Amino acid sequence: MKISRPPPKDLPETIVPLIDVVFFLLVFFMLVGRMDATSPFEVLPPVAQTGADMPGGGATLSVAADGALALDGAPLERASALEVLRTRLTQDAALFIRVNAHRDAELRRVLPLLAELEAMGARDVALVVTPGEGQ
Amino acid sequence: MAQPFRLTRPRKARNAISIAPMIDVMLILLIFFMVTSTYLDLNMIPAVSPRDDAPAAGKVPDRGETLILTIGADGTPSVQGRGLSQAGLAAMIAERLARHPDLQIVVLPSGGAQMQALVAVMDTAAAAGAVNMRIVRVEARP
Repeated sequence: MKISRPPPKDLPETIVPLIDVVFFLLVFFMLVGRMDATSPFEVLPPVAQTGADMPGGGATLSVAADGALALDGAPLERASALEVLRTRLTQDAALFIRVNAHRDAELRRVLPLLAELEAMGARDVALVVTPGEGQ
Repeated sequence: MAQPFRLTRPRKARNAISIAPMIDVMLILLIFFMVTSTYLDLNMIPAVSPRDDAPAAGKVPDRGETLILTIGADGTPSVQGRGLSQAGLAAMIAERLARHPDLQIVVLPSGGAQMQALVAVMDTAAAAGAVNMRIVRVEARP
């Protein structure tokens, strides 16, 4: 008489490797990505070779090619954007402000902003650039 | 009379902590970071730096050699009215810096020039070794 062996029970698929992979992906994206607020319009920063690494934090003032402004991703009028920055500067005098101006923005729309920021007491203002060879 | 015979149910195996909710949360976090992060590689050029090198009170800053560099509305840099290419500008700054290491560069851009023109000039000057650079701006009276 032949006794048939019971068919082997299916092993439950182990999901531990899946969790590992998902965890690695999670950590990867957390490290590689920046959590900056994106501007509501397209901003292509000018190209420069001699830029330095940009620290995180601080405030980002974006300037579109037509001169429209956005502060930390929210479109604002010039006066209110500067007012918000003035308030933030009184709370933190060492606030880092990056001016993310489109490469085609006219200087008459960018330089007065820099001058006003400096006059407000901002001590750390940087222009955002894209690393790369000249155009 | 014999005692009624009782069968004890085998004790239920203790449930392991279910990890399905944890996986859910991790997946949601993963998607959140994938969607909200930006992956642009951006650098910066300081426009206003903390004044570490501010002259001490009462001390008159030493006025060295100054190079005034204008940028036309079309983005062409020029020195003393002569238009220069970026390569010509780099050579000129390097030559002036060799003679006067404390050369101060004053950039006077036209308001109609584009951001890229200013950054290109600053980039060229910085690559040529200039450290002392200021941007000035002429404002029309309304």
